[in-house]
Amino acid sequence: MDGARQRILEATYACVARWGLSKTTVEDAAREAGLSRATVYRYFPGGRDELIDAVVSWQFLLFFVSLYEEVHGATSLEEVLDRGLVFARRALVEHEVLQKMLETEPEVLMPKLTVESNRTVGLIAGFLVPYLHEHGMAEGVEIHEAADFLARMILSYISSPGHWDLGDPEQVATLVRTELLAGVLGELGPAVP
Amino acid sequence: MRHLEPYCLIVGAVRLELVRDTPSGEPLERECDVAVTPVRVRVVDGALSCIARQGVAKTTLDDVAHAARCSRATVYRVFPGGKDAVLGAVVDTEVSRFFSALAVRMGAATDLEDVLVAGMTEAATRVTEHRAVKNLLAHEPELVLSQLAFARMDEVLAVTCAFTTPFLGRWLDQAESKRVAEWAARIVVSYLVCPADGVDLTDAAQVRRLVRLFVLPGIRALQVPQGADGSSGPAKPAPRAPRSLQSKRSLPTTKGEAS
Repeated sequence: MDGARQRILEATYACVARWGLSKTTVEDAAREAGLSRATVYRYFPGGRDELIDAVVSWQFLLFFVSLYEEVHGATSLEEVLDRGLVFARRALVEHEVLQKMLETEPEVLMPKLTVESNRTVGLIAGFLVPYLHEHGMAEGVEIHEAADFLARMILSYISSPGHWDLGDPEQVATLVRTELLAGVLGELGPAVP
Repeated sequence: MRHLEPYCLIVGAVRLELVRDTPSGEPLERECDVAVTPVRVRVVDGALSCIARQGVAKTTLDDVAHAARCSRATVYRVFPGGKDAVLGAVVDTEVSRFFSALAVRMGAATDLEDVLVAGMTEAATRVTEHRAVKNLLAHEPELVLSQLAFARMDEVLAVTCAFTTPFLGRWLDQAESKRVAEWAARIVVSYLVCPADGVDLTDAAQVRRLVRLFVLPGIRALQVPQGADGSSGPAKPAPRAPRSLQSKRSLPTTKGEAS
């Protein structure tokens, strides 16, 4: 990524962490980055709105890059999901800026996050496809349909675990074997204790 | 002359008002008899019509009063909390209508697959075709979307689960019912918030496919007793035994278990 663009994003993120999404202006971001307003506008002609959207996208991407790094060495689909769910939920809960925004500006943040996660369904599904190929699918299940289903379920559990405790590896293992993989891979053997 | 005569239903900790239904949440654009219909009902119906037409932000109490054929002062007398209180009553009413419709469909189902298909299809259809929800999604999406992720969504799941769990009790024990109810709600919300190409949950045939492919096998897997001899595998060979599911149980590289 272009150095100045990256610098602007980081500066904007710092401002957002301090003042929130609504109160951060192009001026703030420029000052924080040590650049002129004109320079910021050159990279983000849409101004404030474009800048804020770009910061959300960028942070979202960082989140999924770290998730990818956590799971890409896994040797089975089950391990990808086990590790991914535990890691992602913890990262999300511990993300101070995100949690603060959710508390103070949900109405600003949520539509942006929805847009981002809708884009992300495709990314996650694409990541899962090779694993699904390797395992072989249950009869009658189409691979892209399964990948899409898994991807949207993963996003749902990470965001809102409901009654599941994703900090408990045993619960995660049960969740993965039943609600995620049972239909996709066909009937599984008895649950591993 | 048609009236709305609300009555109450207590389901667990959730108190629901069963409200006489209108097709797909259409506000009643009817000639209501001002003398007979309670003013509270007229205000709530009127507010719903306003929201379906012009959204929440642009709806004023004058609009609501006009639609309810009463004065602004009357609206305040019935709802001293003003617009927020009126909106709260509208949401309660619509949520109750939604669950009433689910109850009718799910209550009529004759097997587990049907009850899931009926509930999920009805839920998706109700939300998709609801005029006020449609208007909000088009013009004030933040009002809807902010309820459907993170902690708010956990609350939505809990309420939906509390209401729909008993309908699964004919086929599943209580713990299973609760899990499956939450799971089904999660699936519906996911496809509503993030539509997938070619998947339309208002179409019962498509819901049935999802239920058969993903949900029913998940329920059967749940029912396999935990702690059975994991090494020997199923007694009769499974058609396609997934290879690596028996291995890699541990989470070796997870840094610091969350407590």
